[in-house]
Amino acid sequence: MDLSLLQRTYSDLLSSLFTEGILNQQFTELQQLQDENNPGFVYEVVSLFFDDAGRLINELGSNLNQQVVDYKKIDAHVHQLKGSSASIGAQRIRNVCQGFRDYCEANDPQGCFSCMQQLNQEFLTFKSKLETLFKVEQQIVASGGSVPMIQ
Amino acid sequence: MELELELEKEKGAEMEMEMGMRVLVVDDSPIDRKIVEGLLKRNGNGFFKVIAVDSGVKAMELLRLNKQKSEPESLASKEINIDIILTDYCMPDMTGYDLLRAVKEQNFSRTIPVVIMSSENEPQRISRCKADGAEDFILKPLQTNDVQKLRNYANRSAKPSKLKSGTKRKMTSQLELASAMNITEWKPHLSRVVMVLKSSRLDISPYFPVACKVVLLFYAMLCLNQLLHR
Repeated sequence: MDLSLLQRTYSDLLSSLFTEGILNQQFTELQQLQDENNPGFVYEVVSLFFDDAGRLINELGSNLNQQVVDYKKIDAHVHQLKGSSASIGAQRIRNVCQGFRDYCEANDPQGCFSCMQQLNQEFLTFKSKLETLFKVEQQIVASGGSVPMIQ
Repeated sequence: MELELELEKEKGAEMEMEMGMRVLVVDDSPIDRKIVEGLLKRNGNGFFKVIAVDSGVKAMELLRLNKQKSEPESLASKEINIDIILTDYCMPDMTGYDLLRAVKEQNFSRTIPVVIMSSENEPQRISRCKADGAEDFILKPLQTNDVQKLRNYANRSAKPSKLKSGTKRKMTSQLELASAMNITEWKPHLSRVVMVLKSSRLDISPYFPVACKVVLLFYAMLCLNQLLHR
């Protein structure tokens, strides 16, 4: 594919992520930490998030399916997920976590289950879109071009 | 002379700090550890040397706060080369607050500033940490301007302290230095006196009983004289 087309695709993808509220300014901060000495920084951080968030969501699911639900344990996991999603700029995931914590505090099983479903959906969407973004980025780099940044 | 040496040592520590600041990052989140490390490296121009651990317990081990009874004293008292601690507040088993308290209870040769990070903006938590000696409480996620703050806190603790938490220990050590100096000044004089005494040929001990007897006899004669003349 043409380099300029790739770069335009990347810019459009990234813009849409911000417009849809999937990413926020914190992601831009991460991009600014990436340089020639650390070219894969954002990819590495987001990959860590994929693994960590995936693990936490699995644990949340199994904890919610227990006969006796330990809301404190669930809250601790959600708190962790909220923190890491905020750190990488995954805004919608972070917002769902905030609501999830409120339901945990209220020991509300229906609210928790609803948040769990939302969380699963948001995480899958986030993962899918970021993976596409990184694929395009890799193609740009392989073509010898520079990755456009959102100002 | 020794005071000058001490001042030079402090200067050296400051210069060493200028050459690089050793930051101990404590956070159970691998994402946050990576981001903080990236932030410090990117904004420090190689100034920060980052050591990252995933728990307060590991931080204690690194700082040698978990001294084993069997551990030899020489190993346990080895200088801890950390200039500043940056710790998350919420961690399992040992919180950042617990780590803060453990660090402040230690008598390190110099004060290690502790900065707490948290994603929660809780005023009570913040004031509690600051009351117990935290240099600052930074809200996550960390930003670029937070990096300069860390540099300032570590530089502040490296300089000769004014009246701060490390001052008492420093003043005590300075007083000890001064008294050691006094002793050092008098030492040559004392040693000269000792040398003279040692080199003297006069050996008093065998004559002492005889001298006592003479004194007693003289006193007895005086008393007798008094009686006779009454």
